[in-house]
Amino acid sequence: MEGTYNIMFCGVGGQGLMLLSSILGKAATDSGIKVMTGEQHGLSQRQGSIYVHFRMGNPISPLIPYGKADLMIAMEASEALRYIEYLKDDGIIIMSNRVMPSVAETREVALDKDEKTKYYTIEEIEEKLRQVTDKIILLDSLELATKAGNPKTENSVLIGAVTACDDFPIPADEVKESVLELVPPKTVKANTKAFELGQEAGGDCLG
Amino acid sequence: MTVEDVKRTDDGPALMLANEAVVRGALEADVKVVAFYPGSPTSEILDTFGEVLDHFGDYRMEISANEKVALETAAGASMAGQRSFVSMKSVGMNVASDSMFSIGYTGLNAGCVCLIADDPYAHSSQSEQDGRYFGEAAYVPMIEPATAQEAKDMTKWAFEVSERHKTLVIMRTTTRVNHQRGMVNLGKLDRTPFKKNKWADVKGEYFTVGAIARALKAKILERTKKVRKEFEKTKFNFIDEGEGDTGIITAGVCYLHSKEAMNNLNMELPVLKIGTLFPLPEQKIGEFIKPLKRLIIVEELTPYLETRITALAKDINPDLEIIGKRSGHFSEMLEYNVPIVEKVLASVFETKPSLDYDAILERAEKLKADLPERSPIFCPGCPHRGTLWAFREALRKLKIRDDIVYNNDIGCYSMAFLPPNNFSDSMLAMGASLGVSAGMALSLEDKVIAMVGDSTLYHAALPGIVNLIHHNANVTLFVLDNSVTAMTGQQFNPNSPYDAGRSPARKIDMEKLFEGLGADKITVIDPYQTRDSVKPIMEAIEAEGLSVIIARRDCALYGDREKKRAGEKIIPSENDKETCRGIYACVKEFYCPAIVVDESDHKMMIVQDLCDGCLECRQVCPVDAPYHVGGA
Repeated sequence: MEGTYNIMFCGVGGQGLMLLSSILGKAATDSGIKVMTGEQHGLSQRQGSIYVHFRMGNPISPLIPYGKADLMIAMEASEALRYIEYLKDDGIIIMSNRVMPSVAETREVALDKDEKTKYYTIEEIEEKLRQVTDKIILLDSLELATKAGNPKTENSVLIGAVTACDDFPIPADEVKESVLELVPPKTVKANTKAFELGQEAGGDCLG
Repeated sequence: MTVEDVKRTDDGPALMLANEAVVRGALEADVKVVAFYPGSPTSEILDTFGEVLDHFGDYRMEISANEKVALETAAGASMAGQRSFVSMKSVGMNVASDSMFSIGYTGLNAGCVCLIADDPYAHSSQSEQDGRYFGEAAYVPMIEPATAQEAKDMTKWAFEVSERHKTLVIMRTTTRVNHQRGMVNLGKLDRTPFKKNKWADVKGEYFTVGAIARALKAKILERTKKVRKEFEKTKFNFIDEGEGDTGIITAGVCYLHSKEAMNNLNMELPVLKIGTLFPLPEQKIGEFIKPLKRLIIVEELTPYLETRITALAKDINPDLEIIGKRSGHFSEMLEYNVPIVEKVLASVFETKPSLDYDAILERAEKLKADLPERSPIFCPGCPHRGTLWAFREALRKLKIRDDIVYNNDIGCYSMAFLPPNNFSDSMLAMGASLGVSAGMALSLEDKVIAMVGDSTLYHAALPGIVNLIHHNANVTLFVLDNSVTAMTGQQFNPNSPYDAGRSPARKIDMEKLFEGLGADKITVIDPYQTRDSVKPIMEAIEAEGLSVIIARRDCALYGDREKKRAGEKIIPSENDKETCRGIYACVKEFYCPAIVVDESDHKMMIVQDLCDGCLECRQVCPVDAPYHVGGA
């Protein structure tokens, strides 16, 4: 491939972001595309905000400069907004519609006796993201995963949607092969289905 | 996966995390003894060595009680003729440095390499410590890689340098190098079987004091000269040719940021990339800066390179304009990235960056203005949540919340400083809560409380505890015993029946230890029996002398993995909405991320795929609303 293709992965600790990044890393490498990533490891607590800078082609630095990510893959919706400075104008966002509230937010909602304080909604998030791009693939990844036969295949749904993007440099077959190689063997069938459902849904969103 | 690449015997390309590449480099160098104490961003080095330990079976590995012991273990192995490797985070070297400075004098025998990882931005450390001074201060050669490839190659090379000059070699990294994944061309793997040596065959002298130290000092100055000569010629200090009379000197990940920034600006300045931090290749630097009018020095944290290069320039090129931290172009704060370097380059050349990064950041800040923060938090099922709740209850019942001082320590429980606990009057370093408590017990009227985890207890808290008991200090000590070193990825420690790679080890008997030391009171609580823990904590706090409260329950992440291994299921809890009265004790006092509010009826709801089923929330609930589906 020519040039550099940048993906900003983000989500919440425990969602399997590292596996998702490994899958694309393997698919790219198997297709002869160079990969470099800047990953966030470190404190191992669950439910923290996490990200991976994933760069293909000829990147030099492990970190994507602000405004230069071609694609953002968010496993949790509010995390897409948290790292929005990395996305280029009119870049693509593939995101789950799931919003996982923080404990501080839950406290505010719970303690409002008038019940007027509401959780941050997917609509509010989407409205903000649209100020940067209209190319948003918003997926009910949990529903699609459940439809595929295993609610834990949300990652495959999102990654299936990735292959629906026109300029995505890795061939869809390579991505699928890599998914099936890296998920637990017992879940191959559900993951195949989840991948396909994601692919279809992604295609529909981008029209 | 990449652990498979670590095992490969051929020399092809592989996509690897730099930390894995370091392991591969050490294995290619036929390392025989490795020792560690975990710490971000180096923990994956320990984890990877542990994962392939059985596969190779030809090196020995220990998870040491602390970094000093780990370094000494590697040094001892080197003296005994075995190539050895040790890694630790930045502040780990503070602990290990006492021995490291002596090793600088005595020298070693077989190749011995120590990796230390600084953490600009303090992603997961207590400070943005700059560890580059250790090499120079101890006369120990220090090198620094930028990529995963260099991480592998330089590790392997470091063993040769170490053995050639009979000295420890330190490889310094930063978080963005350790946690960078990139293509690595592997070298061939030629492992030899592990074999113990006979001391008579390998023996040397490794002591330093007085007249011997003075003689050794003269020798290490000579050694440093020789190493510098070798470093002048190494390929790891290299020049990228470019145009113009402005040049860049940089090292580590900043080399990558600088190259990409130039790329974005269609600029090709000559660059000297430094791979040896000590001794610096002074001659090479001199030749590089001699013809220049301007020099841009790109380095994170302190002006380590800048200070030394400025001193060299005084003789070689006194008119050289140096652009760095003293000129105000770069900050000593935080970590760098492409935009930071690009903006400085653009301003120096009176042009514009490839994108208006400031405008992008400004827009993002506006879009995020209402976005709720996601602060670090105890995991669902974490026993610390229960312990801290019970502790707060005990203080409330004793009416002494404002009459205590609380000295925190390093571990997941450091997060006790966050809501809803808001504890933490001090938190310095591993085991420091005990020493600080000694000073406070001498100086304050208040009840002094200290808190450590099991790993911290064995790491650096023991001398502080002995000191408190010896001086009859009146201190309550919490020991949060969750079986493992949780925060860094649940590694085993002296509190585990296992060592690296789950090989058997002896678990230290914690109660016997405290009995043996003469602790005045030892109380054991189960954080999952949260309510029942309140009274014993009250009694322990009221006791005179050193009163120890051991809060014992597996780390939830570790416990879940052990359950999975045993084929047990994790059963999430649910909230019985008929019973729930919307008191929200579970929300206000507990902060579990699996607990949310159902906006349809404004009652608490447990998110099923996040819940660990610990039922600590039931313990906190005045009406026992949360329950396990199917009883219990």
